[in-house]
Parts: sequence; structure tokens; C-alpha cells
Amino acid sequence: MKRTTRFAALAGVAALALAACGQAPEDSGSEATGGAAESDFLPCIVSDAGGFDDKSFNQLSYEGLQAAAEGLGTDFKQVESQSESDYKGNVQSLVDQGCNTIVTVGFALSATTVESAKANPDVHYVIIDDAADADMDGKTDAENIKPLLYDTSQAAFLAGYLAAGYSADKSAKVGTFGGQPFPTVTIFMDGFKQGVDYYNQTKGTDVQVIGYEGGDKGSFTGGFEANETAKTTARNIIDQGVDVILPVGGPVYQSAIAAIQDSGRDVALVGVDADFYESDPSTQDYVLTSIEKRMDVSTEEAVTASGKGEFSAETYVGTLENGGVDIAPLHNFEDKVDPALMEEVDALKQQIVSGELEVTSYLAQ
Amino acid sequence: MTAVTTDVRPAPDAPVQPRTVATTSYKTPTILAVVSVLLAVLLLAQPHAGDARFALSSGADFFQIPVVVVPAMATAWVCVALMALLTAFAFLRARGKRRVPGWAAALFAVLGLVAFLAWAAAGSPRDLSVVGLISGAIALSIPIVYGALGGVIGERAGVVNIAIEGQLLAGAFTSALVGSITGSPWAGLLAAVVAGILVSLVLGVFAITYRVNQVIVGVVLNVLVIGLTSFLYSQLLVPNAETLNNTPRFERIGIPLLERIPIIGQALFNQTVVVYLMVVATFAVWYGLSRTRWGLRLRSVGEHPKAADTVGIKVEATRYRALIIAGGVAGIGGAFYTVVSIGQFGKEMTAGAGFIALAAVIFGKWDPVRAALAGLLFGFASNLQNILNVVGAPVPSQFMLMLPYLVTIFAVAGLVGKSRAPAASGEPYVKE
Repeated sequence: MKRTTRFAALAGVAALALAACGQAPEDSGSEATGGAAESDFLPCIVSDAGGFDDKSFNQLSYEGLQAAAEGLGTDFKQVESQSESDYKGNVQSLVDQGCNTIVTVGFALSATTVESAKANPDVHYVIIDDAADADMDGKTDAENIKPLLYDTSQAAFLAGYLAAGYSADKSAKVGTFGGQPFPTVTIFMDGFKQGVDYYNQTKGTDVQVIGYEGGDKGSFTGGFEANETAKTTARNIIDQGVDVILPVGGPVYQSAIAAIQDSGRDVALVGVDADFYESDPSTQDYVLTSIEKRMDVSTEEAVTASGKGEFSAETYVGTLENGGVDIAPLHNFEDKVDPALMEEVDALKQQIVSGELEVTSYLAQ
Repeated sequence: MTAVTTDVRPAPDAPVQPRTVATTSYKTPTILAVVSVLLAVLLLAQPHAGDARFALSSGADFFQIPVVVVPAMATAWVCVALMALLTAFAFLRARGKRRVPGWAAALFAVLGLVAFLAWAAAGSPRDLSVVGLISGAIALSIPIVYGALGGVIGERAGVVNIAIEGQLLAGAFTSALVGSITGSPWAGLLAAVVAGILVSLVLGVFAITYRVNQVIVGVVLNVLVIGLTSFLYSQLLVPNAETLNNTPRFERIGIPLLERIPIIGQALFNQTVVVYLMVVATFAVWYGLSRTRWGLRLRSVGEHPKAADTVGIKVEATRYRALIIAGGVAGIGGAFYTVVSIGQFGKEMTAGAGFIALAAVIFGKWDPVRAALAGLLFGFASNLQNILNVVGAPVPSQFMLMLPYLVTIFAVAGLVGKSRAPAASGEPYVKE
């Protein structure tokens, strides 16, 4: 009797442990149906802990790679990381499977990418949102890494100007908060604030930005989960009477929308990364505009170039000029925004493209 | 600090003479002194000119209190002076071998908070919303309180429940799913209770029936639930977000009259049913554990299962029943994330609240009311950092984000002092 009990317990633990391991959908659907492979080119992608369904940069990069593979008529492989401890193993597994080009999404994978690139000089790496410059000498640490960076402050500047103009004759307050004080997060907030400040300067108004003071001082939720913490952060900002709110960081915007609904006030939302109006239709009533970061386009370009044997390790910086960043159309807010204001925003865009107006950020030369 | 009255057995012919043995404890006065000095040093080292603005009203109150504008540094110094007086009073009481009264400690805490807030908000053009501070603190503490209540019930019965995080997450997931399908937040809430119970039962089967180390089972269960919900989220909820991950939320229900009390009315009496239920649950668990036969048996099973067994209490069955209730309570906390807060599930959205709940169990000395208060303290600290950031406090964001955790660590390590876990907590019972 005792032995059977012990055996059952052991089996139970084993089952639990196995079940726990089994849940990670590591290679789920890794063999994409790309038809007959025409070449031995194999592009691959590894996500950060956010996963490919984050409606944000993992998803966009994934879509870019998918498009590139389709264009080239090749297969591709994908690995989703569940936590930070997965990064190294996931990148290595892609190398072992014979990937020629590996897209690593997010600065969290920076160290892993550099290490793997140095060990495998024949494999090409594309890293999103990071300069892969751990030794801080101003260039990438390995010659086979292509960093894709996005100077989102330029687009955020336009959104800030637009938001300030939208709010100027209301409460003259706009707000923003971020997930964590990372450079890729604060660059949105910083550009947004610069846009508001520029509006104040040219119009002589006093539109306040609540939730960001400059540098990495501001309101942060401490994580990228859409939960009560993010919602309370949003509510505290909405309580200050803002007309527009810019939540930066993956899904935290969902919390912001819940906070707007609870407040019963008319607060507009500015989206980040993708055009929320398209990517999440439930936000359509709230989205004033979105600060787009076109990772799908640039990933597709980089991978396609690599597939055609034209890989270059040159750093790509998405700007308003090359279309790597942009602001989305107003959609439902078309009739709530003064057309003259939109004309000014368009003019500002031209000025930023021509270099006449400078938006500062850690990526601007 | 403690005065113990003991009856000394009198000589047969002597009159009964109670004797009082008093001990002197300087612990409380010393803590008060240290806090006062630290605050004074802060004010001296980093003075801030300007006024602090406190907003005390929300729109729905009986009468509107205008925004209170006070000169920040003067206010802070007055508070510190009063705190010093209270400290002196505490020392006098301690020397006189008497306890420091509770009202003195509470007043001290309030004064310290006002001083700190005045300092932090000095010179900011924005109003520091006191209503927002209280209501946000409550909102942030709800899942922690429910989780902690579940933890207390489990541990009092002798089962360490590390899987609170898993129960919260399972509750959040199922309530989002069921709430979306049925279109009723009540169905979602019920489903969350069931999900919490299911996780508890798995814990029970391994911890009680098969006597596997409870800590290990709990940790594995957490990982299991995280993996399972993340997997189902990406495979099931993401492709069908409109139909499966879009639950209606509970409406707020205002209690007439009470909700219009200034400052606290909106925060305490205009809430969702889950919040009112939290207050009821806290006192129900307290009453159940300490005033009923069920509670006595449950505690005896957690303290001395062998003794309980000898008098005919079924140890394993009692533990199972306790775990089922604990899982249900923690499940309600999970439902809060979806059917109250956001309306949709997100990957790992509980973000470690279950572990904070575990800390609250210990901080609360395995007592439901104290554990609930510990949860409130954490919620308050989280929201305090948040509000200070909005007002524009002169403290770096990274440090501010650590604040709630620092408070928890200090609270658990420093203030709780001696606490004793139920004797048989974590021990499987083996009948001989």
C-alpha cells in the first residue's frame, strides 16, 4: 500500500513537472507553410518575453519576417521566449537549426545577440530596438549584426503638438505614463513633451504635460502588464483633468482605456507602435492618433536584403523621412480636430524631415 | 510594553493580593525617534520652497472642500515638531512602564505622512488628490487582500499555500473567459471561484494525500498555471478577442448618503460588489476562524494534528475543506483583474501579487484582519509612489518603483517582531 502511494505521488509530481514544461509553446507551428523552399535561405525570429501576440513590437517584427519569407518563397522558423532565461537557449537553437538570418526582438536580447553573433560569424543577425553596442564605442559589437532603431521621438513630437492643440481650448492638460523607464519607452514620452512645449512656445499657451518630467523621471507602472497597477496610474493622471493620455508600453493602454471608461470623462488616447484603430478595433472610440513604429516594414526590408545576399550591417534608424516612424490618421477624431491644426502638424512634419526643426533624442545625431 | 498581571497564590490566611509585574520596552519609542530624525534630516538636506496643494474633494460630496494650499516646508516642520512631541510622550510612557497607546502611534503615522507629502508636493502646480490616494490604494490592494485571506485559511489548517499567485491568475483567466461567453460578470466571478478551487484541489491532492513537499507543489503549480493561461491566451483568446476576451465589468454601486461623505465617501462607499465583498470576507474569515467550531477544528488541525485526530477530527478532510474555501476566496481576488478592473485577460497580468499576498499573510501574523491590513498597506505604498510621480516628486522613478517592496520588507522584517506560524504548517499528517 505504502509503495503504491509513493509511486502515485512520484508519478503525480512527474506529471505536474512535465505539464509545466509542456505548456511553453516553444516551436508551435514553427514549420511555416511557405511552399517548396526555393533556396536554402532560412530566416528565423525569436521574441522577447512579451510573445508574438503582444499587439506591439514582437508582433509587428514577426509580421515583417513573415512577409519577407513569403516574398522570398522560403520557410521560416520562430521561437517564442517565455522569460529572460530562455533567450540564450532559443537563439542557440535557431543557430543549430541552420538559420541564416536571425531576427532578435527587443533590447532585452542584446547581450545574447552579440554573444551569438561573435560565435557564429556566418549567420546574420537583425536586432530590433537596440544598437547592440555593449562596449559603448559607438558601433555595433559584431560585424554581422544589423540594428534596427526607431527615432520615435519625431513622430511623438507631432503627436504631442497635436494633443496640445486638441487640449489647448479645453483643460490645457495632457498626460503620459510608461511601463518601465527604458530608453525605448521614454523616447516616446520625451518626444511627446517636446511637441507640447513647442506648441506652447509658438502659441503662447500653457499646456501642461502630466506624468513626465524629462530624463527618466515620470510615471511608470513598473511592468508591461495591463492590470490594476497600470489602471491606477492612468486614473491618477486622468484625475488631474487631462484631455489626452499617452500610455507607452505594450498592452498597458488597455488599462488606460478602462480608466477612461470609469472616469466618465472625455479623454482621448494616443496609441504607440501600431495604429491602434487598426490593430485593436475596441479602441476606436478613444484613439486620437497613434505614434507608429513601422517595425514590420523595416524587418521585411532587412530580411529580404539578407535573403538576396545584400545584407549590410549598417544601422538603420527609422525616421519620419524614411517612413520608419509616423503618426496615424485621425479616423474617428477627424471632425473633432481643427483642420488648421492638422495642417500645422503636416507642416511640422516637413520641417522635421528637412532638418529645419530638430527633435532631440538619444538617436538623433 | 507588556504589563502582566499574575495572581500569586496567597498564604491561606492572608488577604488575596494581586501583584503586577511590569516590563519596560523602549522598542516603540525608539522606532518613533528614528523615523522623526530621518524625516528631519530629509527636510534639512533637501528643502523645497513653495506651496503644497491638497485636493480633498471629489465632485459628488455633500459639500465641496476647496483645494487646501499650505506652505510646504512650514507644514512639514510643524508635523515633525508634533512627531517629536509624540516621541517624547512615548518615552515617558515607556519609562513609566506603560504601553504607548495606539492612538499615539496612529497620529504619529498620519503626521509623518502629511509631512512627507507636503515636502514631496512642494512647488508643484498640481493638486495632490487625497481622494485618489485612498481610492487607488484600495483598488491596488484588493487581489492582495483576497489572496492573503486564502493564504491565512490554508496555513491555519496546516497547508502552506505558495500557489496563491496561480489561483489569482487562474481566477482572472476563467472569469474573463466565462464572463465574455455569458456576458455576465457574476458568471465570471463564479467561474473564478471554481478555478481557484481547482488549483487548490490539485495542491491538496499532492500536499495532503500524497504528502509531497508543499512548497515545491505550490511553486510548480504557479508555473503550471502561468504556462497554461499563457498558452490558452495566445491560442484561444487572442484570435477570438471580441468573443472570448471581452467581458462586461461590474458597475460601481454607491451606498446612498455614505458615498457623499467628503474625502472617504467615493473611495469607500462607491465601489463594486467585489470590494464590499472583501470587507465582508475579511470579517467572515476572522469570525469563522476564531469564533466557530469549524475554526477551532481547523486551527487544531494546523497546530497539532495528532491531538485533533485523537479527539476524532478528521485531519485530511478538514484540510481539504479549508483548502477549497481558501482557493475560492483567492479565486475572487483573481476575478477582480478582469471583471472589475480591465475587462480582458492579459498574459501574467497578476504580476506577482500572489507573492505579495504571501508576505501579507506573514506580516499579518496569520490573522485575517491583520493580513488584510497588510495588503492595504502595500496597496497604499504602491499608490503613494504613483501619485507622487504624477505630482512630480523630486525622487527618481526607479527608486519610487521600489518603494512598495521596501515598505513590505521593512514591515515584515522590522515591525512585526516575533510571530509564530501555526505549528503544523507545511507538515503533512501521517496517521500512525
